[in-house]
Amino acid sequence: MRFVGILGGLFLLCAGAVQAQTPPSDPAREPELKRLPIPSLNFYGLPGLMDMPSGEMLPEGQFTTAFSYFGGQGRLTLAFQPTDWMTLGFRYVGISGFRGQSVRYDRNFDVRFRLLKETRRRPNVVLGLQDFAGTGLYSGEYLAATKSFTNLGWGARQLPGRVKATAGLGWGRLGTHGTLGVIGTRASFQPGGASQGGDLSYDQWFRGPVAAFAGLEWDVNDRLGVKVEYSSDAYPEEVQAGVFQRRSPFNFGVEYQWTRRTRLGAYYMYGAELGFSLQVQLNPYHPNVQTRLPAPYPVQPRPDPQIDPVAWSTEWTSSSAVVAPYLRDQLAPLLSDEGLLLEALDISAETAELQFRNLRYGANAVAIGRAARAMTRVLPASIEIFRLTLMSRGLPLSTVVIHRSDLEQLEFENFASDQMLVETRFTDPRPLSDAAVQAEDLYPSTSWSVAPYFTPGYFDPEQPFRLDVGVSLRGAYQPAPGWVIAGRINQRLFGNLDGGAASGSNLPPVRTDQAQYAQYGTTLNQLYGARYWKPAPDLYARVSAGYFEYGYGGLSTEVLWKPVNSRLALGAEANYALKRDFDQLFGFQDYRIATGHASAYYDFENGFLAQIDVGRYLAGDYGATFSVDRVFNNGWSVGGFFTRTNVSAAEFGEGSFDKGFRFRIPITWFRGSPSKRAVGTTIRPIQRDGGARLSVPGRLYNQVRGAHRNVLSEQWPRFWE
Amino acid sequence: MAWRIRMTGLMLGALVLAGCAEGPEPAPLQVELYRAGQQAIAARTQARDTGTQPAPTRAFLDSLDVPVQEMVVERSNVVAYVIKHFDTRDNLPGQVQVWRTNDDFSIAMRNGVLISTRGFWGDLLSSEVQVSGFEPGPTHDGEHIQMILARDSREVPFAFGCELSDLGQETIEIVERRHTTRHIRQSCEGRKGPITNDYWIDRRRGLVMQSRQWAGPNIGYLRFRRLTD
Repeated sequence: MRFVGILGGLFLLCAGAVQAQTPPSDPAREPELKRLPIPSLNFYGLPGLMDMPSGEMLPEGQFTTAFSYFGGQGRLTLAFQPTDWMTLGFRYVGISGFRGQSVRYDRNFDVRFRLLKETRRRPNVVLGLQDFAGTGLYSGEYLAATKSFTNLGWGARQLPGRVKATAGLGWGRLGTHGTLGVIGTRASFQPGGASQGGDLSYDQWFRGPVAAFAGLEWDVNDRLGVKVEYSSDAYPEEVQAGVFQRRSPFNFGVEYQWTRRTRLGAYYMYGAELGFSLQVQLNPYHPNVQTRLPAPYPVQPRPDPQIDPVAWSTEWTSSSAVVAPYLRDQLAPLLSDEGLLLEALDISAETAELQFRNLRYGANAVAIGRAARAMTRVLPASIEIFRLTLMSRGLPLSTVVIHRSDLEQLEFENFASDQMLVETRFTDPRPLSDAAVQAEDLYPSTSWSVAPYFTPGYFDPEQPFRLDVGVSLRGAYQPAPGWVIAGRINQRLFGNLDGGAASGSNLPPVRTDQAQYAQYGTTLNQLYGARYWKPAPDLYARVSAGYFEYGYGGLSTEVLWKPVNSRLALGAEANYALKRDFDQLFGFQDYRIATGHASAYYDFENGFLAQIDVGRYLAGDYGATFSVDRVFNNGWSVGGFFTRTNVSAAEFGEGSFDKGFRFRIPITWFRGSPSKRAVGTTIRPIQRDGGARLSVPGRLYNQVRGAHRNVLSEQWPRFWE
Repeated sequence: MAWRIRMTGLMLGALVLAGCAEGPEPAPLQVELYRAGQQAIAARTQARDTGTQPAPTRAFLDSLDVPVQEMVVERSNVVAYVIKHFDTRDNLPGQVQVWRTNDDFSIAMRNGVLISTRGFWGDLLSSEVQVSGFEPGPTHDGEHIQMILARDSREVPFAFGCELSDLGQETIEIVERRHTTRHIRQSCEGRKGPITNDYWIDRRRGLVMQSRQWAGPNIGYLRFRRLTD
C-alpha cells in the first residue's frame, strides 16, 4: 500500500521527461551492433548500377521494392535475400508501344548467387539469371564482380566516401552491345508453342553472344551517390519498335538516400532519355519502429522455508475446492494485464497447470515467460512445478514445464536465457484433472468486429492492379472449448474487381471466374462451424463445415501429427467442396468435387520451412505443391511455391503451371507495440485453374507450430523480456 | 436517388473504416492498425504537452521512505526515477535489487552493478559481473559479459575484459546532500569496442551512490544517482 502511495507521490515527478543538466556523451566510440552496408539497386531492382548488375549481394533478409522508369519502360521489382548467398526477384514491367500493344506487360523472375565473397584483395563475384522463366523478354545472364574502396587516395589526396568498381560479362539481352564472341546457339521463346511461358528457359542460359559491361558508383557520403556505367544492352527490339532511341552505351545517375530505407535516383540514359528510380529496402532484423514491451513484474521469490514454514504448508489442499477458484480469480487479472487469457487452472499440492491464450504477443515465448512470472505472484509456495499450456480455439497446443525454483534462481543469472531453456521441458498437452477450474464466463463467448477489407487483383493486362474496398462484419461464437461458429459478411463500397475479364480455360473454371463473383456488393463471405480437438497424443484434428470462402463451401476434415519436439509434421486433409453461386449467398452451383492432400512439413534449423502437399486439386487434377518459406522469429516470412499436376502446359494455359510467392510482415514491425497480426499477400504471376486449392479457414499447422519446441527455443531469449 | 444511396454507403463506409471489435478474440488487422494510429497520435500530442518538470528537492525526497534512484538515459537525456521493487539473492555472489519506474521500465543491479534492463527496446537481458559479498560496486578485474536482445529475438553477447582503477576520494553532491565517495573506474575492452563504467561508492553506507554504466548498444550509457537510502 505504501509502495502504491509512494508511486502516486512520484507520479507527477515521473509524468514527463525531464531534461537532465548534463549533456549526453559522444556515443561514437561505444560498441555497436554492426549493420552491413546496403547496396543501391539498379533499374531491375537488384544491386547494381543503372541497367547493369553489380557483383554485390543484399544483406541477409533484405526485402526490397524498386520502381524505375525510362524511355517508356516502367519496372516494378520485389527482391528478397533468403540467405546471404542468394537473391530472388520478381518483376512486373510495362513497355509503351511495344509488340503491337499500347502497353506491353510482362512478368519476370530473377535469381542471383554469390560465387566469391569480397575480401581486402578480392572482389565480390556473383552469377545471375534475369527473367529466367518467363517469355524471355528481359532474359539475360551475367557474371559480375564488384570491389569497393573506402577513401580511395593517391598521394596526399583522398576521395571522400566509398567507390565501387564493377565489371562483368553478359549473355542474352546483356550481350547485345559490344559483343566479344558467341557461345553456342541461344534458343528463342516461341509464343504459342509447347511452352506457355513460366518454364525454366535453361536452353538459353549462357548461350549466344557475350559482351562486357562495367561501371563505377561513388557514394560521396551517406546520402549522395553518383553512378556511371557502360551498358552492354543494345535494346535492339525496343529501338526497332521506336520505344526509345539509344544513342550511347553510357548511362549516368545521381542518387539520394532520402531516409534509411528510401533512395531516390535521377538518370540520363543512353544519351537520349531521362530516368528515375525509387528504391525501398526493408529488413526483418531492423524494425521500422523498435518494439518496447512494458517491463514485466519479476519472479516473486518464495519465503525461506526455514523462516516461514507455514507459507510452504500444503494444508490448503484439503480445501482446494475453494482455494482453486480463488487462485484462478487472483491470477486471471494479472494475466489479462499481460494480454493473456486464462482458460483453466488445475492445481495440486506441488503442480499447477495453466491453460491460457496468448492474445498479444507475436512470440509465444514472451507469453509463457510472463504467465510463469504471474503464477509466482499468486500460487502457494508448495507448488513447485508449473505446466503452461498454450491454447488456440480451445485446442491445447503444447505444454511447457518449468520448475518454480529455476525461475527464482535463474532470473538474474549470467546466461539466464540459455540456462532456463536447458531446464525447461516441452511436452504434449495432457487432459486436465477433474479438479481443474475453468475460467468463468469464457464459454460461450461471442466476438465481433467491423473493419474495412481490401481485395486486390493483380496483373490483368487491361488493368494491372485491381482493388475492391469494403467493410466486413465478422462474428465468432464459441459455445464450448474447441467449438467455433464464425462468419463474415462483406459489403463492397467501391472497386474495380468486377471489371476483370474471365479468361477462357480448358479446365473447369475453378478460379478464373473470380470476376463473376466480384459483381455482387453484399455477400456472405464465410459462415462455418468448426470443431478442434486432440484425438490422441501428438495428433490434432479439425472438422469444418459451411461456406469457407467466396467460391466454395462444403465439408473439410484435417488431421495433423506433430510431436512437440519434432521438426517434422505430417498432415492429411480431405474436403468435399461445392462451388458457390456467384451471388455468394446460400446457394451452390452444380460443380462439386472431392479434394484433399497429404502434407509433410519440415522446419529446418536455419529459418527455412518446407512443405510438400500431394493430392487432388479443385479442378480434379492430381499433383503436388512444393513450398519453401524463410521464416523469422519476429513473424516475418517470405516464401515461394509451385504446383505441378497432371494438367499439361497447353491445358493449363499461360504460365504453364501454378506458382507464386507470398510474404507476411508482422504489424509490430511497423508500429512498435506487441501484436499477433501481420500484413501480407500471396502473389501469383497468373491465376489459372490448374493446381488450385480450397481455402479453408483455421488450418492446423500454423496454429500448432508456433507453440512447439523448435519455434519457442528459437525465440527463448524473449522468455525473460 | 442512386447517388444518394451511394453517398450514404460511402459515408457509412468511411465511419466503419475506422473499425471496432469486441470479444475475447484478437481484433482484426485493420482495427489494430487504426488503434495503433490513434495511439501514435495520442503519444505525439502528449509529448508536446509535457514541459520540463522541476527537479525534486531534498525536502520532497526526505518525505519518501523508499529507496529511489534517478536514472538518466544519456542518449535521449531523459530522466526517470526508479523505486526499489525488492531485494533477492540467488546462487551468485551479491544481492540483486530490482528497481522500477511507474511507467513500466525496470532495471536490476547486483551490488549496485547493472545486470539487466526491461521495458526498453533491445534490453540488456543478463550479465556476468565481478562482485563479491556485500561490497558495493565491482570488486575485481575480470570478464564483464552483457547479453543483448537483438537481431530477431536472439541474444548477442558483448564480452569485455575489465580493469578497475581507484581514482581516489571524491565528494559528490546529490540533491543538496554531500557524500564522500571513492571513485572506481572500470575500463573494459571488447572485440566490438571499449566501454567505461564509473562508480562513486560510499563504503560507510555500503552503497553505490552514483554511477554511469553501459547498458548495451541499443540503450547506451545510463547514469544513476541514489536519491534516498
